[in-house]
Amino acid sequence: MNYRYVVQELRHHRHRTLVNILGIGIGIALFVAINAVSSAYQEAVSLPFRSLGTDIVVQRPEKRTSDATQQPASMRGIRLPFSNQVLSQDDLNQIETIEGIDSSAKSLLLWEFDKSGFRTIMGVDASQPSLGPVKAKEWIKEGRFPQKHGEVLIEKHYAKFIHKKVGDNLEIGGKHHSVVGLLEIREGAQVASANMYLPLADAQSLMNEGSGGVNVIFLRLKSPSLLGQVKMDIVKKLNGVSVTSSDSLMELMGGVSKISDQFSLLVSIIAFGGAVLLIIKTMLSNLVERSREIGVLKAVGWTEKDIQKQLMGEAFLQSLLGGLGGLLMGYILSFLLGFLSIPISTPWELNLVPAFAKNAETAVRSVRLPVSISFGLSAVSILLSLTAGGLASYAMGKRASRMKPAEILRQL
Amino acid sequence: MINSAVLSGVGLRKSYGSLEVLKGVSFAVDQGEFACLVGKSGCGKTTLLSLLSGLEKPTEGKVSLGGKEITEASEDELALYRRENVGFIFQSFNLIPTLSAWENVALPLFPMKIAQEQQRQRAMEMLEKMELNHRTEHLPSALSGGEKQRVAIARALVNRPKIIFADEPTGNLDSATGEAIMSILHRLNDEDGVAILMVTHEPDLAKQADRLIRMKDGEIAS
Repeated sequence: MNYRYVVQELRHHRHRTLVNILGIGIGIALFVAINAVSSAYQEAVSLPFRSLGTDIVVQRPEKRTSDATQQPASMRGIRLPFSNQVLSQDDLNQIETIEGIDSSAKSLLLWEFDKSGFRTIMGVDASQPSLGPVKAKEWIKEGRFPQKHGEVLIEKHYAKFIHKKVGDNLEIGGKHHSVVGLLEIREGAQVASANMYLPLADAQSLMNEGSGGVNVIFLRLKSPSLLGQVKMDIVKKLNGVSVTSSDSLMELMGGVSKISDQFSLLVSIIAFGGAVLLIIKTMLSNLVERSREIGVLKAVGWTEKDIQKQLMGEAFLQSLLGGLGGLLMGYILSFLLGFLSIPISTPWELNLVPAFAKNAETAVRSVRLPVSISFGLSAVSILLSLTAGGLASYAMGKRASRMKPAEILRQL
Repeated sequence: MINSAVLSGVGLRKSYGSLEVLKGVSFAVDQGEFACLVGKSGCGKTTLLSLLSGLEKPTEGKVSLGGKEITEASEDELALYRRENVGFIFQSFNLIPTLSAWENVALPLFPMKIAQEQQRQRAMEMLEKMELNHRTEHLPSALSGGEKQRVAIARALVNRPKIIFADEPTGNLDSATGEAIMSILHRLNDEDGVAILMVTHEPDLAKQADRLIRMKDGEIAS
């Protein structure tokens, strides 16, 4: 292959070359962006669990006999959420016996209703492993985590809403508490987000639960591959509990994620197939225009292999440039799509606010798409573009080998 | 005849379907000979040239080039024979429009394992011989008809061929330029001993050859 000839040929037919490069580039850009967004979507859906370092959440829901969307007439004071009844000591003991659990964090989630509305309270034992609401230690913006009885940490938007700051007093369940810190809930962490965080013992005393009363357990597994087995063991050993994990969120959004998956595959195939067809079609029609040139090359002693190598050089250079350009366009497109936010739905039992308050806004209902392009996706894109070049050069080589120099030169 | 012949064809027949274009032609060109094929359009001159140069295979008959029979050779073997033994000059020049003059001249050398600088040097020598030193970097579109044909001759010479096939080399040129091209061909023939087989319609040019072969209806008339 003569590089000078390849470059001269592409340079002199710059419009044709540009069309080929753009064709492949657009195909690859779509392929990259669609796949990056599809992965980002899956990642965003698993964010509520990932951001808490948790694989499984265990709760015991109350058997509901009435429509939960209707606010009960006489609901005042501190209450347990419908989805979070206190887990028995037997439940806790059974969990300890299950194989594959690396660590766990137990907490007590409460609701407090008064005449102005409701608020969520999370009782946390900060000495537990850093997962679930214990992660709140990492979210502190001002002050510190409660260390003793009578201290409370408040979510900063809620603090602003109730006009409280560090050092102020706050009444919870009729008892005085001192605000020792403000925190900002990490994106996607709504499964453990509450308005207030108290020491676990304080929360238990609000509910008159003795020591050990908890209603949410966050579990981290030794390996993600154990998820199915551990979930099955929990359901078997703890009758009637609700066991949720990131795949539960995926199932909840199943329709959307399935469509997104199939759509991305389909569009990727169409984009790449279109790019391949475009480059083959334009290069083959170029070849017809260049039949005189092929005839001359054969006449002056170029073998079919020499011609094939030359055409391959042209196709590969265009494909490589198209692939690199497409990758760059894909990066830009993905960067722009990363500004989009998508709402993350959680199962009702993981929804920390009462069902009738669904419209109550919290700071973490939606997450920004965590779009990123992996090295693997980049490599596959370049490989695909080179495959397109390979297919095009194969088709051109076949066509060129059928060209008879005597016939071509006679027609001139 | 065969011993001193650089090129020979024996009993060459060529048919396209039911149309028989060549009807058993036997023909040879000796080393250093300037032979000229003349005849009316459609009499089979260009077809004979194609068979003798290995661009096409005969339906029947044998062709020997440089002492080797090429009739049974594969397409790639024929290409290599042409690369090593043959130079072509076409009526319509057939230069590659995207390559400069020197690159066009070096075209037969591109697939060979010769350093690019050496390829360039050999092309430059040929262009100098054609008095085109000042046009080496120009594209064909910037050259006159005569200059284009001189580039084409340089290309035909760059691989030091035993024989040059010239198909109507002056057909697209005015008479003065045509004369100049003919004198170049004569010089190559006289000084370098390159055999030339030329096809032409023009009787004046044909008369300048060492040997004149007249063709009629697919056969050699005289």
